[in-house]
Amino acid sequence: MNDSRLETFLARIYVDQTARERFLADPRGEAKKAGLTAQQVEDVVKIDRDGLELLAASLEKKAQS
Amino acid sequence: MAVRDRFGLGWRAKLALGILSNLDRIDIVEVIADDYFRASHRERRALRTLAAQTPVTLHGVSLGMASSVPVDTKRLDQIARLCDEVEPVSWSEHLAFVRGGGIEIGHLAAPPRSAATVSGAIANLRRAREIVGVSPQMENVATLIDPPGSDRDEATWVSQIIRDSESDLLLDLHNLHANSVNFNFDPIDYISHIPPEQISAIHLAGGKWIGRPNARRLLDDHLHDVPGPVYQLLEEVGARATRPLTVILERDGNFPPVEWLLEQLDLARRAVARGRARRSAAAA
Repeated sequence: MNDSRLETFLARIYVDQTARERFLADPRGEAKKAGLTAQQVEDVVKIDRDGLELLAASLEKKAQS
Repeated sequence: MAVRDRFGLGWRAKLALGILSNLDRIDIVEVIADDYFRASHRERRALRTLAAQTPVTLHGVSLGMASSVPVDTKRLDQIARLCDEVEPVSWSEHLAFVRGGGIEIGHLAAPPRSAATVSGAIANLRRAREIVGVSPQMENVATLIDPPGSDRDEATWVSQIIRDSESDLLLDLHNLHANSVNFNFDPIDYISHIPPEQISAIHLAGGKWIGRPNARRLLDDHLHDVPGPVYQLLEEVGARATRPLTVILERDGNFPPVEWLLEQLDLARRAVARGRARRSAAAA
């Protein structure tokens, strides 16, 4: 269950700009609110922000094409 | 007995004429399975006709096999029906997740590399084998982000799934090349983690650099020519793989004349031949 929550959380911040902005403003708070485990919270707090932005832009471009 | 490797192109509407005009230089065609789930009778008949002319392999893109969430049985049923109808020589999917909690990502995403996704992928592969009757070849994916929640490197994660599920690997060498430059690992070391008898297919493609100067990433976009390092990796796989390889060149847009793609296929043939020669020399 917790592993699927992490996948849902990642899917959301990858494709939903509002969710992504909320996460980047308060990573720990948003991860806890999503019900992630303590370890998963620590993992997403350390997210590669450059990679996240590039991935999100790439997905958005694909969605538009 | 000598192995017979096969070389082919990904089927795209804009390449159709070029492919059909050059079947003497193309051993196999890879068709995106998902394009035919809702296809008309006429389109499916055209696919059957193509499969009667040349070997076809089906490539799925929407199952989301590498997930802690069970794969959707309805989607597997669609693959099974298409396989029954087309009788492909093989089918393949990706070591990726594509949705979570009802949110469609719209593309292949690298999941957290964890025990949960290893066991989830193995369970999904077992289900796929039960429903379709044949295991898919599983493809490594490119990623622009090191997936959060990962507790092992990609080579370890991929090899665990491939070994424990007894599935074959469709090794996408541009995905491997892109991930190795983006996340600074040795692609040859990665290849050495994979049981050579479980590598049965290869994808080749190209990409471009994106991002700010100090945070650049190589994007696998299928819109550019295959770069040199990918052919070097292909030679390496040719030297190690023990079974015949199916090598597919993928091009999704920015299409050059088909002759240009066929020349890249010839470069691929030569790279595999160099690898096979090394293997033979080492065995002698």
